[in-house]
Amino acid sequence: MTNAWFLDMGAVAVLLIVGFYCLFTQRNLIKLFIGVEILGKAATLAMMATGLEKKNVLVAQCLAITIIVVEVCVIAVALAMIINMYRHTGSLDIRKLTKLKG
Amino acid sequence: MHLFLLIGLVAFTILAVLARDLLKAAIALAGASIFLAIIFFRMGGYYVSVFEITIVAGLITVLFIATVNMTRHQEQDVVESKWPRIIFPLFFLLFLVVDFLVMKKLLGTIPALQSAETGTFGEILWGKRSFDLIGQIGVIFAGVLSVLALFRKRSKHD
Repeated sequence: MTNAWFLDMGAVAVLLIVGFYCLFTQRNLIKLFIGVEILGKAATLAMMATGLEKKNVLVAQCLAITIIVVEVCVIAVALAMIINMYRHTGSLDIRKLTKLKG
Repeated sequence: MHLFLLIGLVAFTILAVLARDLLKAAIALAGASIFLAIIFFRMGGYYVSVFEITIVAGLITVLFIATVNMTRHQEQDVVESKWPRIIFPLFFLLFLVVDFLVMKKLLGTIPALQSAETGTFGEILWGKRSFDLIGQIGVIFAGVLSVLALFRKRSKHD
């Protein structure tokens, strides 16, 4: 494995930890999906870096494009849900979504 | 150069998480996507670089900014807790150490491919990965139908 792959994987690790930090600590719904987006970036970078290392950039590109398409759909649906939740609760705070709590 | 691009990518993502203003956070995320697209371009992934710029840096940023604008006047009421800011740097350091140790052990176990790939991007996408495309089409339709369902007008009976 080359130094470039190590560097890329280091960046992937940092992106993963930043994404998980965002998911675990933020209470704003939009911020949570920014965290999901960061995790998607980490996955795409890992895929491309490993594809380059294994001399399989084309297959890696196909898989990365699949990840991006799924990511866009997830974000679009999530943001539509956020707008609906905001209309119901008047807030973006995740702690106020407790109507189904027993 | 590669190192600077990676540092730029990480810096913009951290900025996106730490920015208090959601609009600035969305724009920082778009900046991170542009850095990532440049990294992909330098790796030889031209198609995925175009996808990253047009869809992630373009479309998703527009979606985020539209949502921020539609929910803007009460966004400041979300109070974030303070303690993660203290614990996070310690956790981050611990994660980096564990990550380095685990990855060093994993390196020998990643199997090498039998042969390097041949053909063009189109041949691989439409030939070998055609099942992925069917899945992508399904996901896109599911996304469109979900958004339509979420924004449908309520009938008088509801």
